[in-house]
Order: sequence, then structure tokens, then C-alpha cells
Amino acid sequence: MFFDLPFEIPYLLTLLLVLPLVGAVATLAMGGERQKYAKYVAGAFSGITMVLSIMLLFVPDLAVYNESYPWIETAGIRMSYILTVDGLSILMVFLTGILVFLSTVFSAREHDRPHYFFALILAMEVGLMGVYMAADYFLFYVMWEVTLIPMYFMISWFGGPRRHYAAIKFFIYTHVASLVMLIGIFAIVFGAAGGGIADFSFEAVLAGSAAFSSTFQTLVFGLLFFGFAVKMPIVPFHTWLPDAHTEAPTAGSVLLAGVMLKMGSYGIIRVCLELLPEGAQAWQTTMVFIGILAMIYGAYACIAQKDLKKMVAFSSISHMGMVMISMACLSDIGIQFAVFQMFAHGLISAVLFMVAGATGHNIGTREIPLLGGLAGKVPVLAAFMMFGFLASLGLPGLVGFWAEFGIIFSFYEYTISIDMIWLIAFCLISLLLTAGYYLWAMQRSMFGRLTEKIDLSHIHDLSRPEVIALGATCALIALFGLWPDLALGFIKEYASSLALSLGVV
Amino acid sequence: MDSSIVTSLYGEFAPLAPMIILMIAALLMPAVYYATKLRDAVTLVAVAAIALSMFFNILMMIDGYQGDYVGVFVYDAFAGVMILLFQIVALLTAMVSLSSSETTRAHYGAFNSLLLAATVGMMFVATANDLITIFLGVELVSISSYALVAMKRKDPRAAEAAVKYVIIGGLSTALTVYGLSMLYGVTGTTNIPEIAAALSTQDFSWAFGIALITMIAGYGFKIAAVPFHMWAPDVYEGAATPVSMFLGTGSKKVGFVALFKIFIVIFVAASTTAAFATEEVQYIFAIIAAITMTLGNVVAISQNNIKRMLAYSSIAQAGYILIVMAVMSEYALASGMFHMFTHVFMKGGAFLVVGALISVGIGEKISDYRGLAKRAPFIAFAMLLFLFALAGIPPLAGFTSKLFLFSSAIYDGGLGGGVMTQWIWLAFIAVLNSAISLFYYTRVVKAMLIEKGETTERIKVPKTFTAAISICVVFVILLGIYPQLIMDFCADAASALFGI
Repeated sequence: MFFDLPFEIPYLLTLLLVLPLVGAVATLAMGGERQKYAKYVAGAFSGITMVLSIMLLFVPDLAVYNESYPWIETAGIRMSYILTVDGLSILMVFLTGILVFLSTVFSAREHDRPHYFFALILAMEVGLMGVYMAADYFLFYVMWEVTLIPMYFMISWFGGPRRHYAAIKFFIYTHVASLVMLIGIFAIVFGAAGGGIADFSFEAVLAGSAAFSSTFQTLVFGLLFFGFAVKMPIVPFHTWLPDAHTEAPTAGSVLLAGVMLKMGSYGIIRVCLELLPEGAQAWQTTMVFIGILAMIYGAYACIAQKDLKKMVAFSSISHMGMVMISMACLSDIGIQFAVFQMFAHGLISAVLFMVAGATGHNIGTREIPLLGGLAGKVPVLAAFMMFGFLASLGLPGLVGFWAEFGIIFSFYEYTISIDMIWLIAFCLISLLLTAGYYLWAMQRSMFGRLTEKIDLSHIHDLSRPEVIALGATCALIALFGLWPDLALGFIKEYASSLALSLGVV
Repeated sequence: MDSSIVTSLYGEFAPLAPMIILMIAALLMPAVYYATKLRDAVTLVAVAAIALSMFFNILMMIDGYQGDYVGVFVYDAFAGVMILLFQIVALLTAMVSLSSSETTRAHYGAFNSLLLAATVGMMFVATANDLITIFLGVELVSISSYALVAMKRKDPRAAEAAVKYVIIGGLSTALTVYGLSMLYGVTGTTNIPEIAAALSTQDFSWAFGIALITMIAGYGFKIAAVPFHMWAPDVYEGAATPVSMFLGTGSKKVGFVALFKIFIVIFVAASTTAAFATEEVQYIFAIIAAITMTLGNVVAISQNNIKRMLAYSSIAQAGYILIVMAVMSEYALASGMFHMFTHVFMKGGAFLVVGALISVGIGEKISDYRGLAKRAPFIAFAMLLFLFALAGIPPLAGFTSKLFLFSSAIYDGGLGGGVMTQWIWLAFIAVLNSAISLFYYTRVVKAMLIEKGETTERIKVPKTFTAAISICVVFVILLGIYPQLIMDFCADAASALFGI
């Protein structure tokens, strides 16, 4: 980085976990008369966490901050509290810090039980940070599940009309997937132990993974991959996502799409690819196929959506499909841009969901056919919507462009190497569809003749906190779009060493 | 302080020390009640006796005390851990019986007396080293429990439950005695280590096979394993809730202790010879385990009465613990014992919540729990923790214990065997069952925390219930993040039992 942090912050990684936790408890305590101050408490804690996560970017040597303490040691089992941040996780930690704070800002007007609302956001941050920083499978799994419960309550307390159904579907779907993943974790941990003490730390399992046979790798890759991929999500196990998104409050959707879906792809890279290279080879074709399916199906489904938020949800499926094909290339560039796309989509989907949420709030409906010609009435909202859509469809100069460019480039290399260059056509079809549904949606909702189907007297433009949150996210999209190396710089080294261990350069 | 206090006080009876205290207290109970006519005094004496007995037991456990009384009772690490479990159950039950609206008012002395007697019976089984002692202990528990169930008078459901329990219990006893006598016939002794020694020189005989089958069936009734489970939901529903809790978390474990004692000891001694039919017995248990957990969880989904739902979930939990009998490894036994411990706090806690709410006039239907979070925030929060722990959501106790237990189907605890493939299917079924169970637990969570109730009037739960529920909350969290607190003892206990 161009600027090195001149001092060390002791226990930085633990702070990133503890601050939101303390914040959640403190916010929860702001009940009754004091509940209008809940947002300030939540804002302060998530703000400090964000500052720390930004400072992490300027740390010259991340290894200094590794923390490792024994936790559970009993009856032949050893689990530890290990936190690390490396080239793969640093952007995710940064993204979590930023988006949690911005979604707190965005929701500043929340007046229905705000102390619960903001406490849930902070509780979610604990789990998210934990997933990205954990370097012990037990801690990783615990954190993975910790993210579920606040989200469940977020949807079922603050969601839309079908919130009960959506919340329970989200909970059961992703919990079943995590249980499958847990079996996979059992297999790798106990397999790596080779009869000795079963050590759950990433390091010990990686050391023991040399003994994995290729059949074992293939089987276990399947288990773990399923567990992670449902979270991404993959078609046909995606149906929880549109429901959860449509019903969740805006802040919930932002975190769900922005950071939580990335847990899935993060897990695939961190566990499946790092640990099971032969399994990855065996599953490569399937991964490519699944990625293409998600990419095309997601984009195709977008065209049919009437609800703006549901459309954005399906576009998430499509964009996560791009992450899938990119990492399925198993190449240096592929992994590099898969991570970059995770980061880019995190920022862009945050804008999209904020815009969709604001449309519902400020105009009164998100149904595209009911909208029309509103750009004159709500110019700021329309401008942000345009910006978000353009960023998402890959306008050059914005962060999404570099991500998609890199992905198509790496996929092109892969198709050449397997002599099936026509596969690249799917990418192009998806790009075309994406541009199509976004522009069409924009045209129908904001431009053209002013609608007569809704009551126009109550609509209002974005409030100041909403503008601040959206503006900041858009600024980041532009910043990383103009200067992608700022983010890519972190990933490069990690990606090339991983590609080396996968046997493809 | 160490166990020398116990040995100097009790001399050669030291291994029986925890039991003697409770036996005396049990005999004193009616006298205390007739002398004072105060329910509080009775509870105080009972709780004090259990606490003292628990104190002695913990001293002995920490010290690693070992001893036997005339070779019939053996106090070792295994006995210590199980006695502690029974003491906790008894303590919680005695505490809440005081303020429960369901427990009898008239014969309160007798109620506590029976409770303590049943606890003594449980400890009997935990220390037993002889078939006769196991049998006597189990009978002491059973007969006391029949009376405890029947004591909720004026409720026809309780009467039905008691009759059902007596009949099924009698059948179970008959089967067990039959099995035990066959075993005696085959080996010529009732002492468990001697049985093991005798079997290791024999070939498999049909008489021995029948003994095994009848013992599995007999104790299968006690632990409510499918297909011997039918009595459990009716009895748990009919009995006073503190008694249901006592049965579900305590008396059920007696069956497990008896199974562990008889089968594992014989298994270890005789696994090298043909006499025991090792593989077959393991497969029988594995199939029973798979069916029990699946049926328990699936049927629980359709229950609208919380006590019945908890009863079926108890059946499912028994299925999980039966994994121990299929795998028969030291690590599995330690994990199973640890799961029994966490089960006491999770399931016990859930029953306590139900009992507390019945005491303030809230029904047993899931729909009665609507809007509970507004009316009794702490109780609703505690119930949320218990149910999520039962479903195995980290970082609660149920997750950690299930993680140990399910992993024991593929991992031998670091003995050098690597990954075992034989029981992977069982681990799969167990994990899938965990997912099913989340479905019905969230129904209660949804009613309590998400749905709106008809009233938002605050509920004041009796203090002893709040205290007992708080104990459970603390341990549900503590054992989740610091399992070695109990797991270390369980590991010692398992190696003690396997070491015989």
C-alpha cells in the first residue's frame, strides 16, 4: 500500500469481533424511552469498527496481527481461537466494516423498535467478521451459524408481508446446507488427524491434507461445495434468496447480498480450493456448468420480475454465477477476479438494494409496472438508480467493469485450454441480458410518461442519511473503478500462490 | 479440601456417601412435613441434602477417588460423573416442585421422599457392579416414579399416564429380569466383571443371545427407544411438569447407565471371542438409534402440545445417545455422557419453562405461547436458548455435545485408527435429524418471539423457577463455549468403564 500505518493496534482482529458484540449489547439496552438514541450507539460502534477495518488495509505486515489461543482441548480434540487476515479475507473484512456502517446510516430513520433493529445488524457483523477472520474450523463454523440467527430475526421482525415464510425458509435452507458442510468439516479434520489428536485449526488440517486420496478429495469436495454453494447461491438451490431479499428490510438485504452471499464463495476458495486441489480438478467442469446456469438463469429471470427488489435479487444470483465460473477456471487470474468480483458486487449490490428499498419506502411501491416517469419527481433517487444499474452492468470506469472484464478474460483462457471456445458465448449472452433488463427496468420505472397508477402526493426524494450512505458507496465504486489496483494489489499474491498449489498457472 | 473428609466421615461406606445422605433425607421428609407443615421447610431440607451430597461427590470426583463396598458398589470416575448428573436433575426438580401449581399439596413430604428415593436408585445403578444391584436400583427408580406420576391427583390424564407407566414398566422389568437370569444361567455369576471373564472363554450360545435381546428390549423401554417408546409422550404429558422433567432428563438416563454398564463391560472383555456377537449387537443398536432419532423428530413436527413435543424430542435425543452403543468406543462413550449432561440443561430447562408457565396459568399448547417475549422476556429468551441448543445451533451446549457425539461415529478419539467408515451413515442420519428438529423448535420460537399475543400483560414467574431456569441458562452457554468443564470428567469416566 502507498501508505503504511506507522503504529500497531494491539488485538486488532479481536477488536473487530468484540466491538460489534459490545455494540449489539449496548444497543439492545437502549430500550424504552431511550430508543431514539439507539442509532447513535449503533453508529458509534459500527463506525469505530469500520475505521479499524479501513486501517487494516494500511497494515504493512498482516501476519503481525495473527492471534491464536487454545480454546477447547479435551478427549482427543483440539479447537483454538485463531484469527488471521490475509489477501483473501482482507477485502471481505473491509467490505463488512463499510457496509455495516453504511446500512446503519441508511436505516437511521428506522423507528419501529430501533434498538432491536440496530442490535441485530451489529450481531450480524460479529458473525460476518468472524467467518472472514477465523482460522479454525470450529470457530469458522460457529461464526457461520452466528450470522444466521440475527438474519432470521431481522427478516421475521422487520420484514414485509410474507416475512414469516421467508425467514423460516432462509433459516432452514441455509442451516441444512451448513450441516452438510459440517460433515465435510468432520471429514477433513478427522481425515487430516490421521489417527492422532484432531486439531481443528486451518494450519493443522492443511498440514494433514497431504494424506488425502483423490477419491476422498472428490467426495469431500462435494459435501463442502454444496454447503458453501447454497449460500452463494447456486441454481437450483437458490429459491430462498429472492424470498429472503424481497421480505427483508433494506439493511438486511444490503448485508445479505453485500457480505453474506460472499461467505459462500469465500468458503469455496478458502476451504475447497486451498485444501482439496484434486477434488477441485474433478469438480471443475461441474462448477463451470453451475456457474453458467446461475449466470444465465439469474439474468433471464430478472427480465420477468415485476418487483424491483426481486429483480435485484435475481441479478445477484447472476453475478455470483460469474464468481463461480471465474474461480472454476482454477487459474491465477480467475481466482484474482473472482475475489475482485465478490468485492465489486458487494459494493454494487449495496447500492442496488438501497435504491430498491428507498423506492419502496419513498414512493410506496416497488412494482415496476406501477412506476413510470418518476425521474422528475425524485431526481436524486433516479440518479443513484442509474448509477447503480450502470455499475452493475459493467460500465467502464466503475468497479464492475474490471471484475467482469477479468472474469471473461480468465474464462476465455480456460475455454481455449479445453478447446471449447464457444462457451464464452454464454458470458456474452449474460452481459447482454444484464444490460437489457437494467435499462428496461430503468426506462419503465423512472423515464417515460408519469404514472397515474399511484398516489403521487406522498412521494418524496431521498433523505439525507440515505444520500450519505448511497453517496459513500457510489464514491467507493468509482474509486475502485478508476483505481482497481488498490483492491487487486491485496489479492494478487494470494491468488498466484493458490493457483500454484492447484497445479494451474 | 479433598475426599479425605468423606473417607474419614464414612469409613468403609465412603463409596456410598452421596447415597447415604439422600437416603436419610428421603426417610426424614415425611417427618419434616408433619412436624412443620411447611412446604418451604421440606424443600429446604431436600435441597440442602442434595447440595451436601453433591458437594461430597464433587470432592470425590476432583480427587479421582476410587473405592468399592464389598465388591457390589464401585465408586469410580464413571459413577462420579453419572451421580453428579442425577444430583443436578434432583436439585432442579426439588427446587421447582415447591412453587409448581401441579405438584401435590397434600402429600408434599411423601413427594419429596419419593423424589430423593428415586435419585438414590439412580445412584445405585451408577455405582452398581452387579446385576442384582442394577436391577434393584432400576426398580427403586421405577416404583418411585410410578407414584410421582400418579401424585398429580384430580387429573385424569395423570391417572392414565400412571397406569400406562406401571404396565409398561412392569413389562420392561419382566423382560429385563428374564434377560438377567439367562445371563446368570450362562455365566454362573451376577458380578459384572466376572460375567465378562466367564464369557471370554465361551462360545456364542442361544441362551446368551436371548439374554441380549431381552435386555435390549427391557432397557429399550426405559430409555424410550423405538419401538419401545409409546408410553413416553403420554406419561410426560400427563405427569406434573417437574416430574416430566425428572423422568425425561434423569430416569431415562438410568436405562442408559445400565446399558453402558452391562454391554460395554461385556463388550470390552468379550470382543475378542465369538461369545458376544459383537458386530450383530452393534448393528442392532445402530438401527434402533437411526429409527429412534428419525421417528422422534418426525413425529415431533406435528405436535401442538409442547410437553408432547418435548417428549418426542426426548425420544430423538435418546436416538442420538444410542450412537454410543453402536460405535462402542471410549470417545463415543465420553461424548454420549457429555450429551446426557447438556441434555439435562437444555431439555430440563425447556421443561422448567413449560412448568413455570403452567404455574402462572398459561397452557401447554404452542399457540398459548404467542407474544410471550413481551409478557416474560427472560423466560422467552431462556426458552429460545434451550430450543436452539436442542437444535444444535452454535455456540450453545447442544451444538458442542452433538459435535462430539456425531463425530464419534467417524472418529475414535485420537487412538490411531484414523477415519472410521463403518458408521458414517449413522452420522449422516444424525446430522439430517438435527436439521429436521430445527423445524419444530422454530415453531415455538416463532410463537414466542414473532407472533403477537392477545395480551401484553406481564407475567410474574415463581422465584424458584426463575432460579432453576437461570442455572440451566448459565450451563447451556458455559458448556457450549467451555465443554472441557464436564467433558474431561466424561473422558475419565469412559476410560474407567472401558478399563474394567
